[in-house]
Amino acid sequence: MNEPIPILRTEHLTKRFGGLTAVDNLSLNLPGGRLHAIIGPNGAGKTTFFNLISGLLKADSGRVFFQGRDITSLKPHEISRLGIKRTLQIKSIFQQLSVAENLWITRQASQRFLHPFRDASRDLVTREHVEQTLEQIGMTRLAQHVAGTLSYGDVALLEIGMALISEPRLLLLDEPTCGMSPAETERAVEKIRELAQSIDIVIIEHDMEVVFRIANDITVMTQGAILVSGSPEEISSDERVREAYLGRPEDEDYVEEAAHA
Amino acid sequence: MTRRIAIERSLMIVFAALLLAVPWIVPALTNKFWVSVITEILIWSLFAASINLLFGYVGLLSFGQALYFGFGMYGVGIGIDHLGLSFWPAFGMGIMAAMAMALLSGIFAVRLTWHYFAIITVVFSLIFYFIAVRLKPLTGGDDGINFSLPPTFSFNGTQWSLTNQTFQYLFILAVVSFCFYLMHLVIRSPLGKAFMAIRDNDIRASLIGLNVYRLRLVAFVMAGFLAGVSGALFAFFGRYASASYMFYHVSGEGVVWAIVGGAGTLLGPIVGTSLFIVIREVVSTHWEHHSLIVGVMAILVVILAPKGLIGLWREWFAHFEVRDSEVPAQTKLPTELMSEP
Repeated sequence: MNEPIPILRTEHLTKRFGGLTAVDNLSLNLPGGRLHAIIGPNGAGKTTFFNLISGLLKADSGRVFFQGRDITSLKPHEISRLGIKRTLQIKSIFQQLSVAENLWITRQASQRFLHPFRDASRDLVTREHVEQTLEQIGMTRLAQHVAGTLSYGDVALLEIGMALISEPRLLLLDEPTCGMSPAETERAVEKIRELAQSIDIVIIEHDMEVVFRIANDITVMTQGAILVSGSPEEISSDERVREAYLGRPEDEDYVEEAAHA
Repeated sequence: MTRRIAIERSLMIVFAALLLAVPWIVPALTNKFWVSVITEILIWSLFAASINLLFGYVGLLSFGQALYFGFGMYGVGIGIDHLGLSFWPAFGMGIMAAMAMALLSGIFAVRLTWHYFAIITVVFSLIFYFIAVRLKPLTGGDDGINFSLPPTFSFNGTQWSLTNQTFQYLFILAVVSFCFYLMHLVIRSPLGKAFMAIRDNDIRASLIGLNVYRLRLVAFVMAGFLAGVSGALFAFFGRYASASYMFYHVSGEGVVWAIVGGAGTLLGPIVGTSLFIVIREVVSTHWEHHSLIVGVMAILVVILAPKGLIGLWREWFAHFEVRDSEVPAQTKLPTELMSEP
């Protein structure tokens, strides 16, 4: 057996908050080249899991490997510089900077040396990247707008643009379509699909329709542990998922419906 | 936007010309004493700029910048009085002392943010204030050290020294302008953008790969530089150094100047500092409680114009320009307007 090194692997990852075990002895193996979704009821530990991978939280025990490299004890900016980028559940941009500046600094952030005196706008290479990305996300017109004045959908698009321009190797998306209108969701889903062609993506999503449309693999988490992993078909027909995740009777046919949508 | 920038450009040119002409205009128009008031405003503007760099661009509110101002002062005072240094080495010693102190305290302080950061900066400045008061042989305590000025330049037997009021004014103007120019460069640079990203959202900044701790430390040392230069200039200007300028009261005043003028704008600190020092000079001769006015104005500005006076000015323009741009937009869509009930 000569298996390729998985893009992301965790070994017995555990995180406790006081008496609550948010992530419980979680071992996960994500092969590259696939769009992986993590679903689960509120409080299942999905966002905590992302926080452990991206370094915002320190694990109590267990390890995280990115392309075979142990990243457990690295700081957020070090992990980011290895190519793991993420979005946050609550939309998170640089409010007082312009749209173009948001993209600009995201592109430049992994530089070891940030020039203290040279005019940033003279960096033509980065400017080119910014202009390309603006075009890709369709925000060229809004380039000079202050990010804090954007509509919610545009903020979400800008976040995706920020993920794009940083050229990640692994992208963690935490509920990217949360709070979007159906039309905005449609645009975002298209972008994510397009991104998945070239980047490994792990997505946390509550919108079942979105999950079943875009994911290659789905992992269901409950109470900090993996309940089941598998293809969308396997998940939608799994009895345990129905019980644990969509236990309420009135919701029972929802997963199935979504799977066939 | 463009009109505002055009007006601001012309105002800046007039302002620069006036500043250059101060030593000749002011004595002609009014009392010579106002030249030294303006000199003092320049120095304190630089001090307020140091607070503004941290608060307005990196999001760290320091209530302890007087410490680095004091180190700048004492670097010069001790350098000249105890070590017998000439002008430039003493100037350098003041700046280096301030930056070294900023590095040392910054290593601890920038691990914290918001009120914790504000508190630790006050604590540092209080510790060194009391040390300076106690170390009388070195610092002169509350009385300070008085020293006589070495010449700034001497060339072929001719000496230029700050004892000449016009030379002193122009020298301080040049140094302060240079520092503001440096800050202007930093704000536009990649480093400046990183500072602002951290100010807006430090978690996001770390997730895009910025080393937030190190960048905050860099900003803290840069702010120490600005405060140190202003302290060193103030020592030259007053020919003395005193522990009383390290007290947190001085830091607090700087915070008010920076915020009222407009934090996060290059020239806000100049506006705020000028306003309050002029008020102090005009009112304090008639009324000893002039700081009441300072307090009331600070509260009013914080409530009514959170982005300071510069912010108010920009909003005012934005308001007019939106109204202007609405006119053609409306004429383009007459049918839609007509159909409204």
